[in-house]
Amino acid sequence: MTDILLILVGAILVNNFVLTQFLGLCPFMGVSGKVETAIGMSAATVFVLTLASACSYLVFYFLLVPLELEYLRTISFIVVIAAVVSMTEIIMRKTSPLLYRILGIFLPLITSNCAVLGVALLNINQAHSFAESVFFGFGAAAGFSLVLILFSAMREKMDQCDIPAPFKGPAIAMITAGLMSLAFMGFTGMV
Amino acid sequence: MAFSLPVILNPLLALLGLGAAIGALLGFVSSRFRIEEDPVVEQINDLLPQTQCGQCSYPGCRPYAEAIAAGDAINKCPPGGEKTIERLANLLNVKVLPLDETHGREEPRKVAFIRESECIGCAKCIPACPVDAILGANKYMHTVISRECTGCDLCIEPCPVDCIDLIPVEDSRQVISPMSEAEYQACINCMLCVPECPVDILPHSLYRACWAGDLETAQQLDLVTCIECGKCDDACPSHIPLTETYQQAMADLSVQWAEKARADLAKRRFELHEKRLARLIAEEEQRRLKRAELASEKRQGAPTNNIQAALERARARRKPK
Repeated sequence: MTDILLILVGAILVNNFVLTQFLGLCPFMGVSGKVETAIGMSAATVFVLTLASACSYLVFYFLLVPLELEYLRTISFIVVIAAVVSMTEIIMRKTSPLLYRILGIFLPLITSNCAVLGVALLNINQAHSFAESVFFGFGAAAGFSLVLILFSAMREKMDQCDIPAPFKGPAIAMITAGLMSLAFMGFTGMV
Repeated sequence: MAFSLPVILNPLLALLGLGAAIGALLGFVSSRFRIEEDPVVEQINDLLPQTQCGQCSYPGCRPYAEAIAAGDAINKCPPGGEKTIERLANLLNVKVLPLDETHGREEPRKVAFIRESECIGCAKCIPACPVDAILGANKYMHTVISRECTGCDLCIEPCPVDCIDLIPVEDSRQVISPMSEAEYQACINCMLCVPECPVDILPHSLYRACWAGDLETAQQLDLVTCIECGKCDDACPSHIPLTETYQQAMADLSVQWAEKARADLAKRRFELHEKRLARLIAEEEQRRLKRAELASEKRQGAPTNNIQAALERARARRKPK
């Protein structure tokens, strides 16, 4: 139990995927324009990441290890992640058309979100058990969501501000992300 | 050979198996969660003005929408004009083309009007109307329901006495002259207007959207909630006529809504018209079949039958006496 709590806190705050490990920056910059889309993206990422880390664990230990094909893990994880994303897309389109419309192009982009592949590979590297893998994936996604929603709220506020012309758009967003990253460095050493 | 066959056979089979399993799963899921999409024809049809005028050389807006979906040019609709072409180009992700003048020019909206004293009641204009907006019967005066007329001019040509006019509809909204760039620049985002607004709109953001003519964003910024109290005008240190800008945008928006409502009405009436025609044709076909059946019956055994029937009737009459 403590292990799992440590993994969660570690993944959400200390080793935050976006601000400390700099993974998944594309959706972090791309979908943070509005809080609603950020929440939608977070929900999709939590779902996909948790499922993908479970699936990749199963594929690794029940397919690749018995066949001694560990070196194929990157390519097979990419295939598994793509399949999970496609499945999420198909199901979401049927069950929640509104969310599907809000997410639009960003849903398929989860496939290329390196945080997802990163979690799958880190799970193997750190020799997590099945439960640990699932919670690590969930924690990573929760951390990603936390930062994404905070950041999108800030960007909404910034839209109303009088930003000097050279800093408008992505420039001020990058600076803000850097400051957030500094703040998250304060968690280092907590776990 | 540098490596033996099994060395590549194993990974090959493993990846193939993985791919096949995932493919099967996805196939199952996509068939389980299949959805019927709004076909592109419907989306195109919704953008067309629904005048059903046939100036595009197709018999109505829907057939033209089908033609566009099959690859026809998007610039054949004069009543829709530049705006419709722009919206179609957006939807279909193609280039905006200038209106094809061979199909007509963009003109202000018109409705048909029958000079009733001259109407001879020939009823020739009635079947020509694609939305059934002409009332009348043989030898009685006709009239046009102006609310439902799309101004398509299809009733002009069949009239033998030329008693139908197309009257341009007066646009009742007043046009306020657009502001210059310098006046627009006068907003310095000081936000003094924000706390003044009694209905919690962001006046400076709304002002920017309205000035740019971006009605969609203006709606998101609660343009419709504005009560035009003028408090933001008083607060503005640059004396920008904020409320006037909102009024202008609101007028544009109501014109847009009215256009949409008219198009929806015309579309519904055209669909009903088509349905009615189809029913009439079906009924006519049924009558023709019945007649043919009767005729063939007559030709085959009818004479003897008739005689037989007459004899029966005669006998029946005689019996009771």
